[in-house]
Amino acid sequence: MQIKLCFLTVLCIVLSVCGYSQEVLQWRGPDRTGFYHESNLLKSWPETGPPLLWEYDGLGAGYGSPVISNSTIYVNGEIDTISYLFALNRSGKFLWKAPIGKEWTLNYPGSRNTPTLVNDLIYVTAGLGTVACLDAKTGEKRWSVDMVSDFHAPLNRFGFSESLVVSGNSVFFSPGNADSNVVALDRFTGKIQWICKGLGQMTSYCSPAIIRLPEREILVTFSKSELLGIDTKDGTLLWSHPQDGGGDVHINTPLFENGFIYYITGDGNGSVKLKLSADGKEITEVWRNSACDNTMGGFIKLNDYIYTASYGRRYWYTLEANTGKIVDSVKFDKGVTIFADDILYCYNEKGQLGIFKPNGPRMEAAGSFKVTPGSKAHYAHPVICGGKLYVRHGRSLMEYDVKRK
Amino acid sequence: MKTRVLVFGLFLSLASGLMAQELNLEQVLDKYYQAGCFDKLKHVKTIIMTGNLVQQDLMPVKIIRVRPDKYMMEFDVADMTAYQVFDGQNGWMTAPWTGNSVPQAVTAERAIDLKNKADMDGILYHPKKKGHNAELAGTDTVNGLTVYKIKVTRQDGGIEYYFIDHSGFMLQKRLYFRNSGGKELSIENFYKDYRKVDGIPFAFIVETNNAGRVNEIQFESIELNKHVDLKIFTMPAKK
Repeated sequence: MQIKLCFLTVLCIVLSVCGYSQEVLQWRGPDRTGFYHESNLLKSWPETGPPLLWEYDGLGAGYGSPVISNSTIYVNGEIDTISYLFALNRSGKFLWKAPIGKEWTLNYPGSRNTPTLVNDLIYVTAGLGTVACLDAKTGEKRWSVDMVSDFHAPLNRFGFSESLVVSGNSVFFSPGNADSNVVALDRFTGKIQWICKGLGQMTSYCSPAIIRLPEREILVTFSKSELLGIDTKDGTLLWSHPQDGGGDVHINTPLFENGFIYYITGDGNGSVKLKLSADGKEITEVWRNSACDNTMGGFIKLNDYIYTASYGRRYWYTLEANTGKIVDSVKFDKGVTIFADDILYCYNEKGQLGIFKPNGPRMEAAGSFKVTPGSKAHYAHPVICGGKLYVRHGRSLMEYDVKRK
Repeated sequence: MKTRVLVFGLFLSLASGLMAQELNLEQVLDKYYQAGCFDKLKHVKTIIMTGNLVQQDLMPVKIIRVRPDKYMMEFDVADMTAYQVFDGQNGWMTAPWTGNSVPQAVTAERAIDLKNKADMDGILYHPKKKGHNAELAGTDTVNGLTVYKIKVTRQDGGIEYYFIDHSGFMLQKRLYFRNSGGKELSIENFYKDYRKVDGIPFAFIVETNNAGRVNEIQFESIELNKHVDLKIFTMPAKK
């Protein structure tokens, strides 16, 4: 018994020293914050970028990121108007694909969401409204609902795009109907747990965050012109925060840290910090900075600073987290950002993928290269898992080796 | 002292204007041809320009020209690829963002515009031979540069203005007009960031002010004399 414990202890130490997490199970990493808990990654890149290990180029069209289990990579793609969940092995070889539903093709054609993997079940959406739970081993559909026919969701401008969030036995999504703003389903059966009327607004393409407080758990998402805080237990709308921008595109997942909610929108208030009361029932605005907007690239909060791309001005900005003031900027065109092992990974719409070392407010460039494989717009958020960098560009998924040797 | 400086400044400004007007149209165009290395350009059979159209979204753009009269602009709107093409005789286009991606013939006015774009040398290269009338219309300033203003009355009757700087003799601006819903809109192109490709200068940035809406094409690469399959200019048959 002692030998077994000893072995387990040594194994834990070895794994923690190696510092490579072997799984990424949902949108923007374990906490939906864009943080990937990795270590021992390259701190600079050559001009050609890190070594490309493989490319799979049969995904069809899409903008979603992959999720990664120990054995399988899952990613969505649209082929001939149908959204599919693709399963590849960890070497990038095709295993199977399973149809989800009709995909959005009117503009920015392609699959939108990133799957959410919970044990042996995987949760996906399709752009015309399907919400489905699939067997992660086989792709067999366990259940599905349709936001349009089952929840009377109005069709929006860019298709249903959220990456589903799961908590406990529930999976949540936003049809955006006047009577069913946000819905919770039993994630095993697809049966309705609650329907939140919210403010009766259309969806805003946001992938929600879950805030876990001692007293309650709160789902935070956007509707057309409000940030919503909803009690996940019963669907009670706890609070909302109006958007002044006049637009309806609020895609970025909000962030909760130490009693404060941070969010950045492109069509709304810009960058905002809110104080959340200890019981989660009230919010107070701390600051807002409309000069720093971001439509869908996400942001990284690291200690005292927030790093993000300003969409209006095409600069990357550093905001002071305490004041919301812009304290530095870097010209790198607009794009998406994630973080791992003290490095910001910034992937801009021109296809340039760069790494920057955050040094207080400064973003110090440490190399970049152009992602040339793939097709169409460079919108997908990269993923880091086990010392590998995964970049989706339309029909292609690439794996790069970013381990430090 | 201030007055002296002002008078001197005024003198310089007038002098530069006078100098600018000293040349006649033929001389201005001659210098424009020299500066633009038209002697080399005439040997270029194809030009492929690749870059991005930058406004709110970033739209990839590829422009292909083949002598003497073929033009294709391939560009993405809402991440859907669209085409504007002149095949040497007719113009056609697609507009998938309207929900219809079937190729369709363009209007006569658009066809003339596309035909002019297909002219690799541009409308100012021996305009008379092409049936256009050019005249020097004085001087002007563009982005702080004194420029020769050349009025071109096209073969079809349309009027355009070209602005060539009086020291470097590079094209700085084009002003032309387009009818939209019964209204005449003025459109300005500004040519910036000239760089040489195989010894020939090209503007790597073209800024467009279309009745107050500003966008910019930033070219990342310009390639000369690459093979182009002429089939790409043929309007696909309707299925």
